[in-house]
Amino acid sequence: MSAIRDRRPVAAAGLVPARLVTTLLALALLAASVLTAATIGPADIAPADVWRTIARHLGMPVETGLSPIRDSIVWESRLPRIVTAAIVGAGLALCGAVVQAVTRNPLADPFLLGLSSGAAFGAVSMVMLGSALLLTPGAFAGALAALALTLAFAQAIGGLTPSKAILSGIAVSTLAAALTSLVIFWTATGDSYREILSWLMGSLAGAGWREAGIALAALAVVAPPVIAAARALDAFAFGDVAAATLGVDVARSRWLLLGGTALLTGVLVSVSGAIGFVGLVVPHAARLACGSRHRVMLPLAALGGAIFMIWTDTAARSLFAPRELPVGIVTAMIGAPAFLAILWRFRRAT
Amino acid sequence: MNAHGARRLPALLGAAVALAALAGAAPAAADGPPFTLDNCGFAIAVAGPPERVVAIKSTALEMLLALGLEDRIVGRAFEDGPVPEEWREAAARIPVLSDRLPAPEVVLEAEPDFVYGGWESNFVADGAGERAALARLGIVTYVAPAACKTAPYRPVHLTFDDVFAGIAELGRIFAVEDRAAALVAGQRAMLATLPEPAERRTALWYSSGTRQPYVGAGAGAPQMMMDVLGLDNIFADIDDTWASVSWEAVAAADPDVIILVDAAWNPAEQKRALLAADPLLSRLGAVANRRYLTIPFAAAEPGIRSVPAALDLAAQLATLAFDP
Repeated sequence: MSAIRDRRPVAAAGLVPARLVTTLLALALLAASVLTAATIGPADIAPADVWRTIARHLGMPVETGLSPIRDSIVWESRLPRIVTAAIVGAGLALCGAVVQAVTRNPLADPFLLGLSSGAAFGAVSMVMLGSALLLTPGAFAGALAALALTLAFAQAIGGLTPSKAILSGIAVSTLAAALTSLVIFWTATGDSYREILSWLMGSLAGAGWREAGIALAALAVVAPPVIAAARALDAFAFGDVAAATLGVDVARSRWLLLGGTALLTGVLVSVSGAIGFVGLVVPHAARLACGSRHRVMLPLAALGGAIFMIWTDTAARSLFAPRELPVGIVTAMIGAPAFLAILWRFRRAT
Repeated sequence: MNAHGARRLPALLGAAVALAALAGAAPAAADGPPFTLDNCGFAIAVAGPPERVVAIKSTALEMLLALGLEDRIVGRAFEDGPVPEEWREAAARIPVLSDRLPAPEVVLEAEPDFVYGGWESNFVADGAGERAALARLGIVTYVAPAACKTAPYRPVHLTFDDVFAGIAELGRIFAVEDRAAALVAGQRAMLATLPEPAERRTALWYSSGTRQPYVGAGAGAPQMMMDVLGLDNIFADIDDTWASVSWEAVAAADPDVIILVDAAWNPAEQKRALLAADPLLSRLGAVANRRYLTIPFAAAEPGIRSVPAALDLAAQLATLAFDP
C-alpha cells in the first residue's frame, strides 16, 4: 500500500501532461467522428445541412431548409444510432479492460466469461415471451446468472484461477448459446428468425434515443466506480496475494467489479445484441497507446471504444447501402486477426 | 459431371418442346413422364406421375390443390397460413406432418415418391433432407422454378409468365397438362382484367423486420406484382428477390404507398403500429395518410395465389386517396 502511495506522485507528475494531451486528442477525435459519421448514409443530405440540423435541435438559432423527413433522418435516425454506438463501444471496452485485469487474462472479454451469451439468452427469452419491456432486465439477469454460474463452476473445480474461470466461462457461454438457439428454434415462425439472427450477431440498426438513454444510464452507473477502482485493478496484475498485501480487498473488489461488468454488459447486449471483440481489442490498443495503468488506460479505452464502434457501425450501415450488415460481422473481421495478434504477443503467458 | 448434365439439359428440353410444337396439340402421354428435368440446378428424373406427394409450405400445397391433385398428397407441412376457402375442404383430408419444417424422418415416414418444397432451403439435412439423399431413396424433390435462389436458375426478373411456366411444368410432371393449361388460361384471363394503372406511384413492399426492414427487392414476386400495379418499387435497383435494407433508405425515398405482408406471427396491424409510433417513419407520407395495402404472407410468394393477390392489391389501391 505504502509502496504505491509513494510512487504515485512521481509517476503522476511525469504522466499528467501527456495523459491530458492524449485524452483531449481522443475527445476531439470522438467529436469529429460523431459529426463525420452523421453525414454518411443512404439519404443524400449535404454535410452542412446535417450539422445545421444538429445545431438546430441543440437549441441554436439556425435554419436548415430541410424537409421534415430529412430533418428526422438526421435527428431521429442517424444521430441516436451514432450516440448509441459510441456508448456501447465505450461500455464494452470498459468491460473488457475490467475482466482482463480481474481474471489476469489478456484474452478475456465479456464474451469469454459467458456474460454476453447469458445476456443474449435473457433478452431473447423476453422477446419470445412477448415482453419487450423486460428485455433489459432479462438481459441483465441473464448476464448475472451466467457470471454466477461461471464463478461457482470455477470455485467447484478447485478455485478461481484465471484459466479455470475462462474454462468455466466457455462452458457457460456454450450452454447459454445452446439455450438461445433452442428458444429461437422452438418459437420462431415463418421468417421471424431473421430478426433474431441479426439481433444475435449484434446490430445497432434501429437504435433511437430510447436505446441511447438506456445504454447511457448503465454507463453512468458503472463507469465512475470502475474508474475509481483503477488502483485495485492495477493491483490485480500482481496476483491475488500481492494485491491483498497492497491493501486491496481482493474477493470483494473482484465481485463488485465483475458484478458491475455484468450489469453493463447485460444492458448493452439488450440494446445492441452481442457484439464481439470490442471488449477484447480496444483495451489492448489503449495499453499500447498509454501503458497499462488503469487510471489513464480506462478513460482512453472508453473513448477508443466509442470511436471504434462509431466507425465499425458506419461501415456496417453504409458499405453495402441500402443494405445493412450486422455490425458484429465488421467487428469480428477486425477483431479476429487482432485476437490472433494478441495470442502471438502473449504466446508464452497463454 | 453435374455441370455437363446441366448444360445439356436445356438443349434436351428445347428439343422436347420443339417436338411437342411439331406434333401440334400433343397428346398428353407423349409429353408426360418419364423425363428428366433440371430443377434449380439439381437434375431430377421423373419416372412416372408422382402418386405420394409431400407438400412443404403453402405455395407448394396450394399449387397442387389448384391442379386438383389432393388425392396424391400424403402429407403437408410448414404452412404459412390458412388455405383459401376454395381448397379448404380438400386440404382438410390431408394429414399435417408438421407445423414447422419437418425432419427427414417425418418426411420419409409418409413414404413419399415426390417432395415439393416451397423454398430451396427446405431441402437441408436438418430440414426435410438433402436432395441428393432423398434421390438415393428414389424420392424426387422439386422446387418451383420461380423459387430457385442461385444464378442462373433464379429468374433474372420474375414475371407472371415464369409463374405460368411453373404451372405447366407441374402439369407435365403429374401428367395433368390439360388441367394445367386450363388453370393458366384462367389465370391469364384474370390478369387481363387488371385495370390499366391510372398514375404511377412509388411503393415499399414491407415484408418483415422491425429494427431493419426486410423488403421486396427488384427481381422477385414483389417486383412482379408492383410491375402490374403501376407501382415503382423504391428498392427496384437491388438485384434480389427480397433484401434487408435500412429505415433511412426508406425514409429518404418516402414512398407513396406501403404494401404490408400479413402473417400470423407478424401481422400487418403490428407493422402499422410500428410505423406510426416511430419518430422518423411516422413522418412518411404513406404512414401519415395511412396509404397501406395488405397481402397475406402465403400470397406474397410466387405461386397460384399471385394473380388473385395482384387483383386484390389493385382493388385496395383504387380505394386509396392521394393528395394532388
